[in-house]
Amino acid sequence: MSAANKTVYLGMSGGVDSSVSALILKEQGYNVIGVYMKNWSKDLPGMKCPWAEDLADAKRVATKLDLDFEVWDFEDAYKKRVVDYMLDEFKKGNTPNPDIMCNQEIKFKMFYEEAMRRGGDYIATGHYAKTDGKNLLRATDDNKDQTYFLYRISKESLEHTLFPIGDMLKPDVKKLAEKNNLHNAYKKESMGVCFVGEVGMKDFLKEYIDIKPGEIREIETETVLGHHEGAIFYTIGQRHGLYIGGGLPYYVVKKDLDKNIVYVSRNLNDDNLWTKELPLKDVVLRCDKTPEKVLVRLRHRAPLIEAKFDGKKIIFKNEVKRPASGQSVVIYDDQICLGGGIID
Amino acid sequence: MIYLDHAAATPVSKKALTAMQPYFADDFFNPSAAYLPAKKVRAAYEDAKSTIAHCVGAKNNDLVITSGATEANNLAFSLIKKKCLVLATEHDSVLNVAKNYNYEEIAVLKNGLVDLNDFKKKLSADVELVSVALANNELGTIQPLAEIASLIRAERERRLAAGDKTPIFLHSDASQAMNLLDINVSRLGVDLLTVNSAKVYGPKGVGALYLSHDVRLKPLIFGGGQENGLRSGTENVAGVIGFATAFREAKEHLNGNRKKYEKLVKILRDELKKGTVEPIFLGSTKHQLANFCPVSFPGLDAERLIFKLEEAEVYVSTGAACAASKGQKSHTLAAIGLTDEEIAGSLRLSLGELNDEENIKQAAEIINRVVKEEYERRK
Repeated sequence: MSAANKTVYLGMSGGVDSSVSALILKEQGYNVIGVYMKNWSKDLPGMKCPWAEDLADAKRVATKLDLDFEVWDFEDAYKKRVVDYMLDEFKKGNTPNPDIMCNQEIKFKMFYEEAMRRGGDYIATGHYAKTDGKNLLRATDDNKDQTYFLYRISKESLEHTLFPIGDMLKPDVKKLAEKNNLHNAYKKESMGVCFVGEVGMKDFLKEYIDIKPGEIREIETETVLGHHEGAIFYTIGQRHGLYIGGGLPYYVVKKDLDKNIVYVSRNLNDDNLWTKELPLKDVVLRCDKTPEKVLVRLRHRAPLIEAKFDGKKIIFKNEVKRPASGQSVVIYDDQICLGGGIID
Repeated sequence: MIYLDHAAATPVSKKALTAMQPYFADDFFNPSAAYLPAKKVRAAYEDAKSTIAHCVGAKNNDLVITSGATEANNLAFSLIKKKCLVLATEHDSVLNVAKNYNYEEIAVLKNGLVDLNDFKKKLSADVELVSVALANNELGTIQPLAEIASLIRAERERRLAAGDKTPIFLHSDASQAMNLLDINVSRLGVDLLTVNSAKVYGPKGVGALYLSHDVRLKPLIFGGGQENGLRSGTENVAGVIGFATAFREAKEHLNGNRKKYEKLVKILRDELKKGTVEPIFLGSTKHQLANFCPVSFPGLDAERLIFKLEEAEVYVSTGAACAASKGQKSHTLAAIGLTDEEIAGSLRLSLGELNDEENIKQAAEIINRVVKEEYERRK
């Protein structure tokens, strides 16, 4: 793959990963254009959205590397296709993953299409993932692999995507940033959903969803143990956040959204918490045929588990702790990401 | 490092630092406590407060010590029941507090000076507070406060004659002017005045609001009733002592400062004129603080200039820092009628103690080089 005369539109977030990606692409000889995707800029009560700071960080790196730099505004689309989707899912009692939707709808769709429209040869992002031009492959850094978030991106966009740091280890990425005086090396890493921050999901949902307090009941006895602020805040299997302290911890085992009741149990073996099968919806397959035995990942950075996939559901050999509905299961054949689906 | 951002922050002077030192760990006592060591701290605090008051031609009791200019500005607005007027180019700490009240903006002329005709038009019978900074924080423009004050006095007289008891006061944020202008509340004709330690080589986190005897404020912070009940909280003794020391020092050097900066800014301007892109010097250079050199390189991206200068360890800012890429224009630069291109290419260079002829020439050379690079890159 010759880099000369090839134009790459690189998504730059201001973080260390996309900054080092810029450095690498430039060294490889690409004509790199840095783009800050402005997806969200609204402040929440008591929480300032860091977008302007992130943008300045991205621009500083672009300037330092002498790259062209642009800001592309996707706020409307992001609100409609990512945030509204997320809110709808929460309202249904599910636990959606907006980052997966953001990659599918914004970064590898709108950003990709705009880059191609402008005559770009490739797009690039600072994701920890690899591609051979056709397949989506797990990153070299197993601890950082982000293919879980990428399994839904279109095949067409992947063919025109570069992941410059996909074969690097995170500590080496940081070292390279430090060596090149990219101040982003020292930036605190953002966690969780980009625009909500680390602890803000509940606050965010409160702003957008009309919630009602309700009862927390023990499932075995129907005893009312306490009250919750809104059933949508609870995820099956969740242990924290139940203020009904003392003794063994309680786990959320069921939500009755109609009656607005959250059911909990101290029994870790409660049937609701475990499963041997996971039915999937909105399945995306990146290959024509899946092998009989696959590896699956139930959440980002979770270990890979052997399982069978029949096209509609995942079947495990042993029971697994049931992930929340709305979350994704991603399927692998060794290094290759075969696709995945959303837990029904 | 060549630091050209003294309007943003100043290094604490050695004298101020030395004066503050004992009050952190040795004379740490709460000035409100009853025992002798605490009484001594109280005395030192009140002395320092008196010094600050004297620096603006006022008395100890006329001052409320605050956590900085922002709080002082906010506190000033607490007197309003009806309406206020603010200059369109005011700092955010004035503009954004004004938005909580019925307010109107007074327009500025192209040179950044207050549009007195517009002011007269808007000076209606329900205006209780007019807030105009002595010198603007982005342009350094010095406003004719005495003229504004005399219009306010006339309005006050008119109201009294008509039997209207609605008070009217003039507030001014003098933070930027403290190193260059002899600030005196009587001469300026202000009823309220904000001063700020951080801009005058004192520590950050200290400021003060002067208020004349007729002004009735409502506290923003409640507690033990310090500062005549207007600003509760244990006194920032070290901070106030540092502020007083630094302010008095600055006061002693006003004339020397002005001459020094007039000379340096002239050198800077002359050197920048030799560059690839013809600079536009912003605001009225006649009515400008001597250490200010706001400049625009139209067509260039000031933010990129800042990042490139940063690599050469030349530190400058734009009043519109980050604002350009946010799609928001600097309200000050927009108010003086600059085009978007001129605004996007604007830097605020502000000189101070850390500058001399040599590093100003060096800075100009580096700015010219970076401007040339960016100009050629654009082509």
